[in-house]
Amino acid sequence: MQKYSNMRHRELPLSKDSSNLFLKVMISIAVFLFAVTLSGVLSINSMLVNWNASILGSLTVQIIPVNGVDKLKAKNETLVQQEKAVAMLEAMPEVQKVTPLNDGQLERLLKPWLGDDVDLSNLPMPRLIDVKLKKGAEVNFLALAEKLAAVAPQASLDNHKLWLNKLINFANGLKMLALSVLVLVIGVTSGAIFYSTQTSLGLHKDIIEILHLLGAKDTYIAQQYAAKTSVLGFIGGVIGVACAVPTIFVIAHLAQQIEGGIINEARLSWGAWVAILSLPLFSMLVAMQTAYYTVKRTLEKMM
Amino acid sequence: MSKTPIIRMENVCIRYGRGPEILSNVNLSLEKGSFHYLTGKSGAGKTSLLSMMYLAQKPSKGTVSVFGNNVNFANRNALAMFRRRIGVVFQDFRLLEHSSAFDNVALPLRVCGMNEKEIRKRVNELLKWVEIDRSPTAITSTLSGGEKQRVAIARAVINRPDVLLADEPTGNVDNDIAPKLMKLFVELNKLGTTVVIATHNENLIKEFCYPCIHLKNHGVTIINPEDGDEYAEI
Repeated sequence: MQKYSNMRHRELPLSKDSSNLFLKVMISIAVFLFAVTLSGVLSINSMLVNWNASILGSLTVQIIPVNGVDKLKAKNETLVQQEKAVAMLEAMPEVQKVTPLNDGQLERLLKPWLGDDVDLSNLPMPRLIDVKLKKGAEVNFLALAEKLAAVAPQASLDNHKLWLNKLINFANGLKMLALSVLVLVIGVTSGAIFYSTQTSLGLHKDIIEILHLLGAKDTYIAQQYAAKTSVLGFIGGVIGVACAVPTIFVIAHLAQQIEGGIINEARLSWGAWVAILSLPLFSMLVAMQTAYYTVKRTLEKMM
Repeated sequence: MSKTPIIRMENVCIRYGRGPEILSNVNLSLEKGSFHYLTGKSGAGKTSLLSMMYLAQKPSKGTVSVFGNNVNFANRNALAMFRRRIGVVFQDFRLLEHSSAFDNVALPLRVCGMNEKEIRKRVNELLKWVEIDRSPTAITSTLSGGEKQRVAIARAVINRPDVLLADEPTGNVDNDIAPKLMKLFVELNKLGTTVVIATHNENLIKEFCYPCIHLKNHGVTIINPEDGDEYAEI
């Protein structure tokens, strides 16, 4: 007795369509671009979260060096003001930690700009105090600046907002640009699937007519297209992600070469990696839905 | 008590594009469980009339009702459900050439969502009856004309349709198998299936006497076997 498989039968010979290879390559490229762009969006996002946290959680107090002919006296005067400022800040309940930067740390900060050969001891050096605030602490910066001025007239307060806001706006702009690229990639891929499905419907017109005459509903035909295209979407997605992952690592490696710590803030979380690795499922879903509704809409125009 | 008309045509006209009318003001009512031949010269409109019956096209004018529903106003899903109740043997078979005989015959059942176990049972039984059982997995394009016609007939009757429409169903089969197939149609008719067979085969009409829907001058006339000479002249 002849055995027949129990698998779902597909009357339309879609696996022989010449557009299959085109769609697979198209989806692979689209998913590659999508994955790389998505990793960029997620990196920017993590960078923004870190920057926002730094705005909310810290501030810097700068003691501008006291001017005077006697450099030693001026330096001591600056240090006295620093100590007063530290004592005042440590007394505040909102403050978690106060760290005055020592000479070595100040030198390391200035070296990239002044070079190794400059003797910093001869320069009027500002003193910096790094202040970490308690989680959720709300500080009235205006009042704090006034209090600081009272104990240390040379002190100025920097809560990083001004320069960091500019960076955040720039990063947000980049993020929107990347998101538009993602929408564009989905649009172009869906368009390619739409036209390729329409071409295939034209090629298999006779078989579709037979199926209709035997009582097949449009959904029966649409499901066959959806099933075939979803497989192409998944395979294309896997190829795209497989190419994208090493590319993301290369970009991340290159980004780490940049000094300054700004780019280093951009790290992909586990959640981001899960999102990137699940892109084949996403591409499968997009391909399936596009093919399904293309077939349904096209067939509705027939009797 | 009058029987329910299963297919009714009222003032039906059909034309293709801006061409002349193939059929004009056709009024026809086929009752449930009736058996008719559809006769007429080539080009008289037999295939056009049949295609309206199996809902492949709508009339240019007039009303076609199937199972008591006006198909002019039926939506796509409703049309699909009506078509499932109509078995059709096409003149050119319209088989899926890339599929096996088994898959072609199983198609109407799969479209209805029947389970594979039941499909296997029914299809194997019917393929045996139409003598295709030795090559059920053979790709249809490799079958002979007669075998294809038997597969087409098996596909039309597999889901025990309410209406069976056949366009020259015995045109390509051997003389010994033609009466066997006709007996199948007769048996289905006895079980309540409404049958319409378009044919030129005079021997068949004389051997199995049933009324004829005769197409002439763009209209239809019903000729019964009791009409004697007129029936004999078809």
